[in-house]
Amino acid sequence: MPQRGWLAIFALLLAAAAPPADEVQQQVQQVQQVPLDQTLAILGHPVADPEGKNIGRLVDVLVGDQNRPQAAVIDFGGFLGVGNRKIAVEWSALHFAPNDPKHPITLDLTQDQIKDAPEYKEAIKPAPVVVAPEAPK
Amino acid sequence: MQRVATLSTRSPRALDWLNFFVADVQTGFGPFVAVYLTMHKWTQVQIGFALTLSTIVALISQLPAGALVDAAHNKRLAASGALIGVIIAALLMAFQPTELPVLVAQSVHAFSSCVLTPAIAAMSLHLVGHAALGERLGRNARFASIGNGLAAGVMGGTGAYLSSQAVFLLTAALCVPALLTLLAIGRGPHARRQTTIPLFDWPGLRRLFADRQLLTFGVCVLLFHLSNAAMLPLLGATVTMRAGNYANLIIAACIMVPQIVVAICSPSVGRGAALLGRRPILLIGWVSLPLRGLLLAVLPGPWLPIAAQALSGISGAVFGVMLPLLSADITRGTSHFNLCMGALGLAVSLGAGLSTTLGGWVADTASIRMAFVALAGVGALATLVLWLTMPETTPDLPRKGRPVRPRPAADSE
Repeated sequence: MPQRGWLAIFALLLAAAAPPADEVQQQVQQVQQVPLDQTLAILGHPVADPEGKNIGRLVDVLVGDQNRPQAAVIDFGGFLGVGNRKIAVEWSALHFAPNDPKHPITLDLTQDQIKDAPEYKEAIKPAPVVVAPEAPK
Repeated sequence: MQRVATLSTRSPRALDWLNFFVADVQTGFGPFVAVYLTMHKWTQVQIGFALTLSTIVALISQLPAGALVDAAHNKRLAASGALIGVIIAALLMAFQPTELPVLVAQSVHAFSSCVLTPAIAAMSLHLVGHAALGERLGRNARFASIGNGLAAGVMGGTGAYLSSQAVFLLTAALCVPALLTLLAIGRGPHARRQTTIPLFDWPGLRRLFADRQLLTFGVCVLLFHLSNAAMLPLLGATVTMRAGNYANLIIAACIMVPQIVVAICSPSVGRGAALLGRRPILLIGWVSLPLRGLLLAVLPGPWLPIAAQALSGISGAVFGVMLPLLSADITRGTSHFNLCMGALGLAVSLGAGLSTTLGGWVADTASIRMAFVALAGVGALATLVLWLTMPETTPDLPRKGRPVRPRPAADSE
């Protein structure tokens, strides 16, 4: 009876693949529902300067050993792929507003302030991180 | 003779528009890929891989694509196939920005580009013949640069204010008028067996790659792009550093000015090459490179480099006209025209690829100014090599008594 043989194998596989019922319960309990307007997937998002002008895109995050982000890498400027550079900026110079559909990410620095910042390159250590000037307001 | 007459009035204009639309289509692909994929949350490593794959595919397809167009009985069909490839690639990019489709799209697009360039040059050659080719290529370059400039403006605006996806949709849409102009070129002699050869013609290949003119010109082309390709990216970097808020405007001008200059002077380049011979025109184009490099190194401020970019238009016009023209000279009577274009395309890709590495390295270890000086030095070397070793390739045609626009092809019934 080959058909029944296959069925038996299939059933065995199912039993092996499905975890015990109580484990499933635990996993479900660990899931936390974060409301849509409280978080923002930042990778690839446009970054605005204090005046709301779009100056680049957030492309990477540098995280320190305290599990805290230290700097963000922004692909900055350019036209038709010419003249854009990656610049690392201090994490605290960034402000996130997941509720604001227009400018969810704002940087404390203007285009003029970061224009001559050194380029961020993965090969270079330590990374040159631009720090916001003290209390500009 | 009736058909030849209609050909000579209708086809040239169709060829103008073909160059225009193909340039539009080509503009859309390159610069937007990185931004578009960033937007779709690709990591920098993934984007780098996709772009490198596209470069490598372009590099290794140059020769096979050239050979394929040589072997194609109908160059118009080869160009149509390539355009359909571009449509598929653009639609894949627009609707499936995930790993595998994008890698497929990049490869298909790179290969299609390697087919399109020689196929258009081959149709031009078959349409007007060797004697009028210089003038024809001048027109090709004019319409291509008008297309490039307009497309850069329109697509730059579309990318900034609509979305990068719209750029790819626009690219796919612009392939349709390109296909229609291909149709409008008509069934001329270019559609017949003329320079068509079997795919593997070993003795012919050996003769081509042992040709001293091709080897010499190949070295000159490689050095040209070794000097040329890194200048604009380095200029973009200096402009963003110096200009702040106006940076994008200045960079746009640095891209547009050369296109305008190419549009203005390509026809004279083509005519000059026919009247004065190839060497003087080549020298003008090549010597513009070290001049531009030096100007970019010394000119201060963010605005003045735009003026230096006009020189880029001169070398661009000379290069755009002379590459297919010399390919035609070199392969005259051998029917390896497209393969020769492919070989020179390979030299372009190699030179351009090494150029950004060289320029970036000098800029990192010394300064951007030194990088411009180094690139100018390579340009000077290229000019010197051209001046000392490149022979005149103009075939000695009986000029007098020949019509300005000769019969399209000798063997079209």
